[in-house]
Amino acid sequence: MSKKALILAVAVLFGAQAGPALAANPDTGPGCGLGKLAWEDYKGQKEILPQVLMVTTNGTGMNTFAISSGTSGCTNDGKILGEHRTTVFASLNFDALTAEMAQGQGEHLASLATLMGVPAERHAAFFAMTQERYTSLVQAGEVSPVAFVKSLNEAIVGHPVLAQASVR
Amino acid sequence: MLVLLAFLAPLFAPVPSDAQQSDHEPYLQQLIDRAEEAKLAGQREWHLLLHYRKGLFGGYESEQDDPGFFLSPNGKTDPAAELNATLAKFFSDELVGSTRQPAQCAFIARYHWLKERLNFDATRLPPLACERFHRWYEDFEVQSVSLIFPSAFLNNPASMFGHTLFRVDQKGQTEQTRILAYTINYAAQVPPDAGIAFPVKGIFGIYKGYFSTIPYYLKVMEYRDIENRDIWEYRLNLTENQLRRFLMHAWELGNAYFDYFFFKENCSYHLMALLDYADPDLRLTDEFVLWTVPADTIRLITSKPGLVSDIAYRPSRSTVIKRKRESLPAAERDLAHRITQDPSAVSSPAFTELEFPRQAFLLDLASDYMRYRIETTDPPKPEWKARNKAILAARSQLRIPSEEFTVRPFAQRPELGHKTSRVSVGGGWRNNDTFEEASVRAGYHDLLDPEIGYTPGAQIEMASITIRHYNRAAQTRVERATLLNLLSLSPIDSVFHAPSWKVNIGMNTIRYNECQLCSNGLFNAGIGGAKEFRLLKREILFAFAEAEADVSKAYDEMYRVGGGGTVGMLVDLTERWKVMATGTYLKFPLGDKSDDFRWFVGTRFTLARNWTVRLEYNHRDYDNDVLFSVQAFF
Repeated sequence: MSKKALILAVAVLFGAQAGPALAANPDTGPGCGLGKLAWEDYKGQKEILPQVLMVTTNGTGMNTFAISSGTSGCTNDGKILGEHRTTVFASLNFDALTAEMAQGQGEHLASLATLMGVPAERHAAFFAMTQERYTSLVQAGEVSPVAFVKSLNEAIVGHPVLAQASVR
Repeated sequence: MLVLLAFLAPLFAPVPSDAQQSDHEPYLQQLIDRAEEAKLAGQREWHLLLHYRKGLFGGYESEQDDPGFFLSPNGKTDPAAELNATLAKFFSDELVGSTRQPAQCAFIARYHWLKERLNFDATRLPPLACERFHRWYEDFEVQSVSLIFPSAFLNNPASMFGHTLFRVDQKGQTEQTRILAYTINYAAQVPPDAGIAFPVKGIFGIYKGYFSTIPYYLKVMEYRDIENRDIWEYRLNLTENQLRRFLMHAWELGNAYFDYFFFKENCSYHLMALLDYADPDLRLTDEFVLWTVPADTIRLITSKPGLVSDIAYRPSRSTVIKRKRESLPAAERDLAHRITQDPSAVSSPAFTELEFPRQAFLLDLASDYMRYRIETTDPPKPEWKARNKAILAARSQLRIPSEEFTVRPFAQRPELGHKTSRVSVGGGWRNNDTFEEASVRAGYHDLLDPEIGYTPGAQIEMASITIRHYNRAAQTRVERATLLNLLSLSPIDSVFHAPSWKVNIGMNTIRYNECQLCSNGLFNAGIGGAKEFRLLKREILFAFAEAEADVSKAYDEMYRVGGGGTVGMLVDLTERWKVMATGTYLKFPLGDKSDDFRWFVGTRFTLARNWTVRLEYNHRDYDNDVLFSVQAFF
């Protein structure tokens, strides 16, 4: 994913919103855009002077993650709302997760397992499971991150070792 | 535990209502009197909270530029008025600042400090609950804080010196899950179409800088995958109380912005200010007067005894690829490369005869290649994605996890490098005269400087001036001055083919026509390629196509513009000894029609980390110059 694609992904995901919101209550209404987000090629022109400082500054992430910025999309004062943490992580790191599932290990995969409540001692089983079901998991992920997390959850529930450990 | 209880106590406290607003006056006056008696407004801690700096002519001014950060109209310049206004606002649940919270919550670090100093009576100044802050605070699950340093990235002007940010490490975090932690990052808010105006606006404080908490996995994606910068992580030893102060003050800064100045009040400077509040004994920001270079802040942090408990290295994708390739015999390197061209090579006997772990290693390397190409090209070719998919599908069939592969960095830790500024003295011959000279350079690093701790092949020189005295001519003059001299050498190979480039803006002294010593303003820019060899130790050969404009009274029509090329090499003979040689030919069809042959040979020997000597020879038409000099970095 190029920088531009990442900016767009963050924007699509969090619903770019200008200025800090006034509400202090979590609002999980529209603006989180997780169900609709699918990975596709973003067409963008090559930037001559590469964009500055950070990918997420560009008007989107800055507000999304600004400290004490109130509620915007899936964030509250710059923190991703608990119920969306797994899906947001899965969608923004899908390329890395795909590679690590094929490779049967990796930090993104370990982090996803942690978010899904798989205890550290069962990570090896989780990694092996994702490698085994690689093709079907990637297909689900190409539909949407929500579908991807859902099939991962189903795989965990149907797994003799992981099912006992899963908290969700 | 008691501390925690004290901290959470406000959660269960009553909320003041407007009915009480009028009867608090006597107690407020009492607090103000006690604060004046204790001279709180003059205390360092108050100045850290409000970012006051002593002005040149006495008095104070805050570095904060957002009016919403001050509760008194004169708060920016009057610490005492701000303190009194803050105390008054603590009695109200009116929403203040850009984040619309009661003052006790918006300025929670101020509140806790004043509460401690003045022993607030909870019945007469009831504490507010501040749920928003507590939810935010709890979400960090803070265990410690790390200072993160992504190394220099010359292709992005804002990242030339590297960048720094904090990561708030979570309880129970492992090496595998640290990407889940939030960062605390200070950056300028730049519109996406800033383009060429960006450097200018960035230097003069036109942009506003804000603090944000971007998840570390996004920063890793940006630096490691997209920009290919190595990351260094320094875990800091802060006490529980210091961590709380750190986060409370970060929350306050979420209310406001500073004008962003690229050279001084930049990402690194305000991070130091945050650490200064966490532990006022550190006194970090006092060290930065004119500019703040991220690597200098790392040097400072690592020089404080016991402050850094652990240093971790996170290689960029390009570093991983290079190290993996180095570890392979040539035949397997070619095989991995063939797979990236045509994934069906995985069914060739050459591949299937290999042991499974070896197959896995080659497929992982092939996928690393593809991801590098996909992430650094915009837009990437669709067939790359298809090939990467095929490679990963084949990899998933092997049913074994990839083995750990330890990657050693090519550049050493930034704090091991020479210091930022340089002064040098020297002497030599020019034509039939002798001279002595002294130079000073604000920053940062040139190709002949010791490379330890710096990004290899990256030259960034800013603001340097050389004064030279000629003995026979009996004149003292500004011999050379550089505003900016950037040069990036990116060795090309089968995977990496980023161009090398250079830009130089400054002046030098020429001998031309009848003029023996004439000042000449120059602008030179070029694009080219570099190739790395390891015949002796490490050699880089490079070539540039370039354009140059010169302005001097020595020329007919005062100027000349032309173009040409440079070839050169940069050779490490030993750890301490480096040689550079270049040859340039330029033809000037515009202005003073002329051409120019130039030779340069320079060699540097390192005496100590911050001490070097050089011998340099410069040749131009009818103009030869030999210089011996000693450099000290400070």
